[in-house]
Amino acid sequence: MASQRIGETGLSESGPSSHHVPYGVLHGINTPPSGLMNQGSAFDFGELEEAIVLQGIKITNDEAKASLFAGRPSATLEMFPSWPMRFHQTSRGGSSKSGGESTDSGSGVNTLSSKTELQFETESPISIKASSSDHHQAFDQQQQQEQETATDASRKGTSQNQSAAKSSHEKRKGAGSTSEKQLDAKALRRLAQNREAARKSRLRKKAYVQQLESSRLKLTHLEQDLQRARSQGLFMGCGGAGGNISSGAAMFDMEYARWLEDEQRNMAELRAGLQAALSDGELRVIVDGYLSHYDEIFRLKGVAAKTDVFHLINGMWTSPAERCFLWIGGFKPSELITMLIQQLDLLAEQQIMAIYGLRQSSLQAEEALTQGLEQLRDSLVDTIAGGSIGIASGDGVQQMMAAMGKLVSFEGFVSQADNLRQQTLHQLCRLLTVRQAARCFLVIGEYYGRLRALSSLWASRPRDTLITDDNSCQTTTELQMVHPSQNHFSTF
Amino acid sequence: MHFQAAASWSGYVAGPPRAVVVAADPVERIQRLASENAVVIFSISTCCMCHAIKRLFCGMGVNPTVHELDEDPRGKDLERALMRLLGGTSVVPVVFIGGKLVGTMDRVMACHINGTLVPLLKEAGALWL
Repeated sequence: MASQRIGETGLSESGPSSHHVPYGVLHGINTPPSGLMNQGSAFDFGELEEAIVLQGIKITNDEAKASLFAGRPSATLEMFPSWPMRFHQTSRGGSSKSGGESTDSGSGVNTLSSKTELQFETESPISIKASSSDHHQAFDQQQQQEQETATDASRKGTSQNQSAAKSSHEKRKGAGSTSEKQLDAKALRRLAQNREAARKSRLRKKAYVQQLESSRLKLTHLEQDLQRARSQGLFMGCGGAGGNISSGAAMFDMEYARWLEDEQRNMAELRAGLQAALSDGELRVIVDGYLSHYDEIFRLKGVAAKTDVFHLINGMWTSPAERCFLWIGGFKPSELITMLIQQLDLLAEQQIMAIYGLRQSSLQAEEALTQGLEQLRDSLVDTIAGGSIGIASGDGVQQMMAAMGKLVSFEGFVSQADNLRQQTLHQLCRLLTVRQAARCFLVIGEYYGRLRALSSLWASRPRDTLITDDNSCQTTTELQMVHPSQNHFSTF
Repeated sequence: MHFQAAASWSGYVAGPPRAVVVAADPVERIQRLASENAVVIFSISTCCMCHAIKRLFCGMGVNPTVHELDEDPRGKDLERALMRLLGGTSVVPVVFIGGKLVGTMDRVMACHINGTLVPLLKEAGALWL
């Protein structure tokens, strides 16, 4: 019972701070020795208990608290971890509230427990010998404890000192027995050592708690970052993984993120402008604003191409779905026009013809650039492999230098491709009325917005091994996000 | 007779035979070359962008006259002259249509997209419907 209780509490307290409590549980543990036997300790508590019983130790509630802290000063004891692993085994048999004084803090318990642990390993059957703890004051057992070996000490203390009412560690209350005198010198020493051990214990506990706190903070930060990245849905698996992203590329990615925020704002303006049925002049302002918005991204790409053209070409700055349709670092104008022809209505025949003509011109230009790029790639292959590759013919430095010269040409192609995209958008605008142009840009913005949303959805789709509530919630949310925009498409 | 023959020969400079050139000035040469055909492209044989522009015109059904500057003995001069004419880093390809300067790839593509290239070609006689 009591011992079992002890065992339970012992088991439940694995942390340093918990030690205060369990001892309360140890109140009035009048466990019979048999309880101790159940603990499975390394040594036989039975004998100890017997001794205790023989001693006629009475355990009181008050004493219980004080007890177990018999710090058994011993050189070896200070090596122990401050938190006993087998606290329950000390079972202070319940009775062993060491009358030992409690140390300054609960960590005294730790010391006791740890010492107890040691006892388990090394002790021979308990013999109530003089224990080193004599802060268990005023107990007959104290005398016996003093006789114990140092290793025995704590255990003894626990077993014997339950009755220790002792409240203050320093006091040597003794019942005025003669043993008190003997205890003085040793007691002082042990007190000091116990305090030392307790202090160390406290420091370790403090360090551990601090570590826990900082880890917790780190965890919340990580979760926030993850949330943010996921909500953007853009940079999943982007080149940032592995830290291979260059600074120019990183800067462009940041500016692109900001451009996307601008995009949302422009879209909102377009939507609002159309619904509010603004005048043509006012709409013209909004449409021109949207064109400048696109001019801006082409300008940014031009700057980025100078520092890291490969980043633009491999499309790591776009969402995966957009990347699927990538053509020389961006969208293919003819594909965009094909989509628009399907979605835009209320066009005059002349306008339709003109837009088909625009698509034709764009196709021709795209074909030319594609073929030019093909030739560049073929020439690059020849340059890099050039000369007897594979055969011990040097380190290929010469080839590298030649290839570097060719790489510069990639920038030209990205630049021309962006130029084509920009010219196409401007020409579209010229072919349409203001209202039509506003609707056209709304369609374009929505279309790419859907591609980005698709990328997020796809990346967070529930998979067999990764099904979590978070995933399904996010999917639902994103589906809801996509849905409202469909209404806008239908007006076209 | 012989004297006259000798006198008539004295005007020629000994050296590798070459065409009589009225103007050695590269700019004038460019202009002359540009006027000789409807569509004239100054190019460099290894330049991939030049390849792209050639494919663009061929794709449209135009047969341009291409002058490869790296295969011309005085190509360097022409290149420098073109650079002065246009500015910018990449000087080739440069396109003349109907003797008039259109520009580099940038301009040519912009003209094509905004629909002014085809009329220009038709006007120069390089395209028939």
